[in-house]
Amino acid sequence: MIKFGKGNLRVPQWSRRVFMVAGGCTPFRKYFPEYKLEELVMMGYKMMLEDNDLKMSPKEIKDSIQYCAYGEFADHFQDQLLCEAKIHDYLGLDPLWNNGIKTGGATGGAAVLNGAMAVASGYADTVLVCGWERMDEVDTRTGNFYISTAACKDFETRMGRIYSSYYAPMANRFAEAYNLSEVTRAKVAVKNRGYAMSNPNAQQPGHHTVDEVLASRMSAYPLRFLECCAMTAGSASVLLCNEEMAYKLSDHPVELFMAGGTHTLRVADRRHMEIPLLPNEPEGMYDELLADSGRWPGFESFLAARFAAYLAYRMAGVHEPLEELDLVELHDAFTISDIQTYGDIGLRPYGQEPDYIESGDAYFGGKCPSNLSGGLLGTMHAVGATGIWQAAEVLWQIQGKYDKFHGEDKWWQRAGKQKPADWKSLQVPDAKQGLWISHAGVGSHVTCGILRKAW
Amino acid sequence: MTKPYEGPLATQFIGTPSEIYDESGDFWVVDFPRSITHHHTYGLLTPFFKGLTEGKLMATKCTNPECTENSTWLPPRADCPDCYARTEWVEAPTVGKIYAYTMLDYAGIGIEMETPYWQVDVQLEGVDTIFKGWLKQGKPVTGMPVRAEFRTNNPTHTILDVCWVPIED
Repeated sequence: MIKFGKGNLRVPQWSRRVFMVAGGCTPFRKYFPEYKLEELVMMGYKMMLEDNDLKMSPKEIKDSIQYCAYGEFADHFQDQLLCEAKIHDYLGLDPLWNNGIKTGGATGGAAVLNGAMAVASGYADTVLVCGWERMDEVDTRTGNFYISTAACKDFETRMGRIYSSYYAPMANRFAEAYNLSEVTRAKVAVKNRGYAMSNPNAQQPGHHTVDEVLASRMSAYPLRFLECCAMTAGSASVLLCNEEMAYKLSDHPVELFMAGGTHTLRVADRRHMEIPLLPNEPEGMYDELLADSGRWPGFESFLAARFAAYLAYRMAGVHEPLEELDLVELHDAFTISDIQTYGDIGLRPYGQEPDYIESGDAYFGGKCPSNLSGGLLGTMHAVGATGIWQAAEVLWQIQGKYDKFHGEDKWWQRAGKQKPADWKSLQVPDAKQGLWISHAGVGSHVTCGILRKAW
Repeated sequence: MTKPYEGPLATQFIGTPSEIYDESGDFWVVDFPRSITHHHTYGLLTPFFKGLTEGKLMATKCTNPECTENSTWLPPRADCPDCYARTEWVEAPTVGKIYAYTMLDYAGIGIEMETPYWQVDVQLEGVDTIFKGWLKQGKPVTGMPVRAEFRTNNPTHTILDVCWVPIED
């Protein structure tokens, strides 16, 4: 039994409030040969500067930036060490300090958290958080091997050489432990890929059926291709500010609360431990569940996600996540990782995760819809950009700008697509508070960010 | 004698011209092929990999009396993460039970086994972690007893030198 030291459980206290005011991204594609990486980054960065109704010119904002946090998952994919320096130079931001952030699939979230720390500490008043990934220089199987080198090279990578095979055993375990059917898993893919139909930037939108998902090719049993995200080329940016700058720049700033958690990369090394309880979970509520399963987090749950939510909810004063959050963006790299996270962040108690889907709560119009952006399954996983793009999607929902960034013809034209005749707005009415999860390698790093309307 | 850096040089390209992979638009996409070998050390965990070639599953255990956990680790680790003491080598049981499994169908490049095949996570008595491996034959079920088999002949010198087979009752 692992126990935390008391000091380890201190809730972060930022010295200054942190705000998010703008976001931008590129269209997301499997293959993007028309642009070099730095050109793609510029596209998303300029969208952030120019299209977010900010009250300063792009040049004035550029002149206000003091620090940059850059997210890039893997030098392998870019085939370029110190890509941050190339991007920073290309954006004309020398000699401002920048940090390159790498925490696997959670890189984007980690970059936002790093930028927020810079604002909270007073290092900077205005921070660019920007991430990218160009996964189109290698073929899919080589890309899968690159990603699997984020598993343990001594004991895991040579078995499978693909990340789905590290999540798939969790899916089998979860199905047996918590009565999860493959139909519920497939519904997540249908939902998110369906929502991607409204997103002009989406790489893999589609109106699929549960049967189609279950009939798609097997990657690693029981995960089918349509249950796995694809590799993407693209970039995303958000702008973080202190309070004064936030209101100077925007009439619709959104306040940010954020924390992270980690756990050993090797799932099999996760020893039994106490469940850190969320604010609405009474002592002893999981005694029965633990008596049955014998170990937590086992292969069913993610300590890193639970710990990130444990801290972030306390920072933000969120008590009942399902009631107090108007929407969430979760890391649906695989259907199973999405479902596992429902318990970690308290959308359902552990053991009842499938009910978040089956009850309808997770759908547009439901109590707390998830991945209206199309998620990773439908829209993108340009890894270093993902957690930043998710934040932008939540920001736009709270600002009431879903239609502006998903419905306007200019974005469909930019993506080289025809806006579908049956395009549907997924703007959550009067959204005030949302959450996004950025998640790495079988739950090795997870950030939990909460954005709250601040006007 | 004139040193090279003291004189004019005549230089020629000696590489292989890059292929243009894609010029279907206003852009060129060019190839940059490489073949790379890494020399990777197993460091203090070398006894584990040597053990596989001798038919042994070597784990490490923290024996520090002041450690609150005294966990047994497989995969092994040389340093206890709980108390930072150096761990001791112990032989782990070579029979266990399947904790989780997956069938791998679509593998990444360079896969060293025929696909599809079953990957299994095995729970071993007295070991605090669960050990990832592959099933040489049969079909896994949660809780199914398995025993380790070692590739002592012509070993790969990697984690692939141990696999699991069902124990017939």
